[in-house]
Amino acid sequence: MATALSHSWRDSKADSTNPQLNQTKWATSPELSPTDFDVVTPLLYDSGAAGLGWWRIRDTQLSDTPSGELLHQAFRLLTLQARIHEQQIQRIFRVLRAGNIEPILIKGWSVARRYPQIGLRPFGDIDLLIRPQQHLQAAWIAENEQLCDCSTDLHPGIFELVDRPVEDLFARSRLVACDDEPVRILSDEDQFALSAVHFLKHAAWRPLWLCDLALFLESMSAEFDWDLCLGNDPRRANWILSAVGLARDLLGASICNKRINRLAVSPGWLVETVLRNWETPFARKHEPHNHAAPILSYLRRPRGLLKDLKCRWPNPILATVTVNGTFGSRQRRRYQFRNCLQRGAGLIRAAAEPA
Amino acid sequence: MKSNRQTKPRARKDGLIVHRLPDEVLVYDLDRDRAHCLNETAAFVWQKCDGRKSTSEIAQALGKTTNTQVDEKIVWLAIDQLDRNHLLAVTPPRPSAIGNMNRREVIRALGVAAAVTIPVVASIVAPTPAQAATCLPNGATCSTGPQCCSGFCNPPGVCGNAP
Repeated sequence: MATALSHSWRDSKADSTNPQLNQTKWATSPELSPTDFDVVTPLLYDSGAAGLGWWRIRDTQLSDTPSGELLHQAFRLLTLQARIHEQQIQRIFRVLRAGNIEPILIKGWSVARRYPQIGLRPFGDIDLLIRPQQHLQAAWIAENEQLCDCSTDLHPGIFELVDRPVEDLFARSRLVACDDEPVRILSDEDQFALSAVHFLKHAAWRPLWLCDLALFLESMSAEFDWDLCLGNDPRRANWILSAVGLARDLLGASICNKRINRLAVSPGWLVETVLRNWETPFARKHEPHNHAAPILSYLRRPRGLLKDLKCRWPNPILATVTVNGTFGSRQRRRYQFRNCLQRGAGLIRAAAEPA
Repeated sequence: MKSNRQTKPRARKDGLIVHRLPDEVLVYDLDRDRAHCLNETAAFVWQKCDGRKSTSEIAQALGKTTNTQVDEKIVWLAIDQLDRNHLLAVTPPRPSAIGNMNRREVIRALGVAAAVTIPVVASIVAPTPAQAATCLPNGATCSTGPQCCSGFCNPPGVCGNAP
């Protein structure tokens, strides 16, 4: 997966003028035989990276193979889906603004727009940050103003950016054009922090998220404020830097800032865990989608509990994030046990609560 | 509404999402939930179908762009495919010279050394590729807060808003 996606986010024509990027490496096809390519194609397809897979091989002989044609068709479909979603985004902004609510579009389109083609980065839900005091009103509008077909998620806060006040996020946000409609998105610094923490929060299982970071690293302006991006919480800064290290070490992303390049370290266990996760980059294989049933339901019917408990042993990346740990070189066991204890305590609290 | 009375083709505009790529045009038909891919020649003809140009004028325009002599049959081949895929609002009647020639016969009549690419309108058929959404919506069962889109896993393990 890492080989197939290395430099996949680059626009070869535009990037040929950028001396920072390793053009020799880009000019060659990925080091994949047609057989390897056939093996990796279903992984690309089912993990949301089909468009990027096509983009990576489009000028190579692999593009003429059946797998190449499948990825090409996926790229076309994803392009059209993105255009449909763009229309929905415009509609949502118009409707919410009519109710005097100014949302910020987070993730999804705000990341996809950075790619050379909109179809390279699929997005499903439309996630909006809403000022907490307007959240109920926004939810009412979304429910009643024919926005039901838009899969909108309204967030009064963002777990990934919990270390920075919502009002600061709004103050730093900016408007960009989505066809004719101005759409508010996070500042580059906040969006990068969000994408990095989001990637780790979900145990880094989807390669596409790391491509987002790699693209960001190679396309950020010289004014990008790394101090603002890393924030004031040293643990969160460690998370973001670890994700930066992964983008460099696994996908070959170039980091222009020397200080960040030095600080970005991805420990061996982290690289190994990510690569292992990428062997099965499907939502159903990872937490929380791999849980067979809510844990409390086993109190009534314990059959299958042992098997399900095995699935619940926390991934070391997930464990680190949930217990607010750091991505150092030390063993993860202590974090994994703490994660289990936390969840166990939550379970006892929930079981003790009256129904 | 389609009409055979008019002699100049007109492209359908409503209910379509159109996206131009460097070497092809993608079209999504919202009414029929069908996706199409037009190669450069088909896209050129479709773009020129404005209800004012005749097929021979479109052939001339195509010839000018490609700097070659273009047979009007090429335009008819494109129109035939555009029509079958419901991408025309007005389809002119076929001239008797073209008659009921099918695509293969037109291609044969043009010869293998046709100077311009044969127009192709292909349906995009592929399994739906994965999207990138990951978190659990409100109401789904959860173990920890970060699993939920809202960030809150409320007792007894259900995603929801802040307690």
